Amino acid sequence: MSAVISTRGLVKQYGRLRAVDGIDLDVQAGDVYGFLGANGSGKTTTVRMLLGLVLPTSGEIDLLGERMPRAGRRVLPRVGALIEGPAHYGHLSGRENLSLLDAAGRGGSWRTRRRRVDEALDQVGLGGVGRRPVKAYSLGMRQRLGLAGALLRRPELLVLDEPTNGLDPQGISEVRELLLELHRTGTTVFLSSHLLAEVEQLCSRVGVLDRGRLVLQDELATLTAPTGSTVVYTPTPDRVRGTLDGRVASIDGERVIVRGSDPAEVNALLVGAGIPVTGLALDRPTLEEVVLAAAGTSPDRVEARP
Amino acid sequence: MRARGHGAARRWAAVGVLIAALLALPAVIGALPTSDAAVPATELRDRALASESLGFSGYAVSAGSLALPVTDQLSSVADLFSARTMMRVWWRGPADNRVDVVTPAGETGTHRGSGTTWTWEYETATATRTTANPLELPAPPDVLPNALGRRFLSEAADSELSRLGARRVAGRDTLGLRLTPAAAAASVSRVDVWIDTGTGLPLQVEVVQKGAARPALDTRYLDLDLAVPAREVTAFTPPPGASVREGREAEVVLEAGRRVRPVELPAELAGLPGRRLDGVPPGIGLYGSGVTLLAVAPVPPGLANGLRNALSQSPDAVVDEVGTRVSAGPVAVMIVEPPGRGPYVLTGTVTLDAIAAAAAQLPDLVGRP
Amino acid sequence: MIVVELRKMFRRPRTWATIAVLNALPILVAVLLLLTDLAPRPGEGPPFLSAVLSNGALYPLAALAIVLPLFLPIAVAVVAGDSIAGEAQAGTLRYLLARPVGRTRLLVAKLVAVLAFVLVTVLIVALVGYVVGTTLFHAQPLGSTAVGGTSVSGTALTPQDIADRTMMAIGYVAVSMLGVAAFALFFSTLTDSPLGATMGALAVLVASSLLFTLDAASPIAPYLPTRYWLAFVDLFRDPIQWRDLTRGLALQGVYVGVLLAAAWANFTTKDVTS
Repeated sequence: MSAVISTRGLVKQYGRLRAVDGIDLDVQAGDVYGFLGANGSGKTTTVRMLLGLVLPTSGEIDLLGERMPRAGRRVLPRVGALIEGPAHYGHLSGRENLSLLDAAGRGGSWRTRRRRVDEALDQVGLGGVGRRPVKAYSLGMRQRLGLAGALLRRPELLVLDEPTNGLDPQGISEVRELLLELHRTGTTVFLSSHLLAEVEQLCSRVGVLDRGRLVLQDELATLTAPTGSTVVYTPTPDRVRGTLDGRVASIDGERVIVRGSDPAEVNALLVGAGIPVTGLALDRPTLEEVVLAAAGTSPDRVEARP
Repeated sequence: MRARGHGAARRWAAVGVLIAALLALPAVIGALPTSDAAVPATELRDRALASESLGFSGYAVSAGSLALPVTDQLSSVADLFSARTMMRVWWRGPADNRVDVVTPAGETGTHRGSGTTWTWEYETATATRTTANPLELPAPPDVLPNALGRRFLSEAADSELSRLGARRVAGRDTLGLRLTPAAAAASVSRVDVWIDTGTGLPLQVEVVQKGAARPALDTRYLDLDLAVPAREVTAFTPPPGASVREGREAEVVLEAGRRVRPVELPAELAGLPGRRLDGVPPGIGLYGSGVTLLAVAPVPPGLANGLRNALSQSPDAVVDEVGTRVSAGPVAVMIVEPPGRGPYVLTGTVTLDAIAAAAAQLPDLVGRP
Repeated sequence: MIVVELRKMFRRPRTWATIAVLNALPILVAVLLLLTDLAPRPGEGPPFLSAVLSNGALYPLAALAIVLPLFLPIAVAVVAGDSIAGEAQAGTLRYLLARPVGRTRLLVAKLVAVLAFVLVTVLIVALVGYVVGTTLFHAQPLGSTAVGGTSVSGTALTPQDIADRTMMAIGYVAVSMLGVAAFALFFSTLTDSPLGATMGALAVLVASSLLFTLDAASPIAPYLPTRYWLAFVDLFRDPIQWRDLTRGLALQGVYVGVLLAAAWANFTTKDVTS
């Protein structure tokens, strides 16, 4: 496995404000990396630094094994990006937009351009959109077109900022399928989002950004690994405490956490004591719990200082 | 990655250096040393006078600050001395040259041939032919540094001349010659003429009034090309569609001079000796020499009235029993109307006191019933 | 990249609307002139307008002179001011740079596109002027040996002369607009608002025109960007007065050089946050 994105001590300072404060990202080839963070936590600035749009105050960025932004000319053609929503020339059709974007940079032969544009449009479900100008598109169609622009050059790495923004539930599901399909064919996906559910469904690795600092970065499976306890649902939680004295960690309504990583054993004990068990599961933390535990309050909140 | 910040500073520094270099360029060229030569003043004057028939072409600017109080008939003369005049010059000799006064969207060309002068005015599409006249109104060619400089120097006494240093004019080395008029009546304190070291062409003339620091008239070449221009360039044929007419402005003055009963003008006015010009009617008198000149001429009553109105509108006008007089820079103008006679105009590069004294000295005109 | 920028520019309805508006004024003037027959005196009003009644082939020049002081610079400032700031405002700038397109390359391509716009605009104004002039007014055919017109200096010019000099004038007017374009392009890299960049460039022009009329500003007059704009009239003097023309070309060259360098220094080290 090789590092696709790797930053060391990345800092971006705007005046006295440190928007990004020394983060060390590590995205491996084949990852679907979920980059989580509240609005204003520095996600977008980080994504822009990765793509060479914003120049870091200090720190290093390696993208696909090469130093950014110096090697941008070599690296960026291998990266597809959707940054802070799609943007197109409203008076041109979607096809022309893609064609212009492809022609703007090096590396896309004009011979294959037409075919590649058609393929990308098909991939995002805009194959039959025709010659309509983009300004007549719905928000969802624009989002799809933006995605098509990112896919145009069959990138090794996709950097996506809120890719499902503006899509209806069906569209979200389609995009998810598309990303998973791309991932299966070897594309690394870097997904920046504030939607926990989206990240939880798609990603294999997660990084959490809070006020410019990377507070958490690990495999999703590790973060949500069983805690060694068992969750028991019962209408009579007090009787559980009586039966399994000392092993009950907490009681929350009908939800009882019992220490012990074998639900079958817990179940046998409870059923043996005649306690009705309506539900039984291994205790795993949700991603939301993990994120909330790692990050503080939302940076949108501006509290009065004492 | 700190290097990025330095990169910005470096790039801006490069731009700053570029701008500084471009800004400094004119100053550097202007500061190029000029070579001075120990040429005596009189020899320099002789060189300037000898360069009259030298052919050249060039681009000259004359900047005057003389608000001459004149009537509409003479507004072109007034403009010549009060505004910035840009002139293109083709010089084959004193009797074969062309001077175009260039304005942003038009021009007035003066083509001098032997005996005939064509004036082309683009604004009115008019070609005017004037035949040689002993008395001519000042025209653009007269304020060219070479013409004006020579005119001043030709009548200067050796004692009035002194040397100045060197200066770069029109990209050429010039030597300075200062003319300080000796006559007490003179309103001009000095005239500085800058003469091309190589050819003797006067390339810049500055006329400074008594009591002033800045020149009242500064005329100089900006470009000079010493190749003799082709004959076709100085020649003129009225283009089709143009209206052609005969020039009569100077005639007006001459006619008035002929019509009045010749009076015996004194041999000297305000300390300036009289001088004779061929073809000038005896009614018109000319005094002085070089920079200090005084003219006395009868004018038709209509012109005199207009002129007097124009004069008295000037805040500096002096109106008394002698007449109405005013000075515009070094040029003084006075209107006198002796009873029983037509009005006279006195004008010249003399002080106001001198022109009043001259008016008082006129016999039969002033102070006698 | 240049081809892409040209495609973008000329596929844009606004570009053609601007050119159409630019042509409306000379056409209106021509129609009014034909209906009233009241030509301004030569030297008054726009240069060459008076000569049009006798030779309609001069109308391209009159048309250029009509749009030169205000309309043309505004059009150029709008297009050039939009070049970077417009992409920034639309959000397409980040996609272009992430594509990636080198920032210097983008800047040069934008300048070339603006240059093409200036050339096309000036040519169309001249062409429409020629068509309008020859249909509405009496005109001498090109190539005839007859006198085509009178130069400013009062010499007769053949139609061929006039055609040649008109071409040179078109070229000169186009170059004169480069300074405006460079200012607008530079401001366009400073701000994300195309309107701001356009206004900045126009403010420079207004200031320059104002200073030009002020005697106290005469020491800096030779360096004002609008100083030599009217010098295309010098092409119709006989002989042609090259002095101001060459200075005008050099001055525009200096402005383009300096402002492009400044735009480059700014744009290549700038954070793109739009």
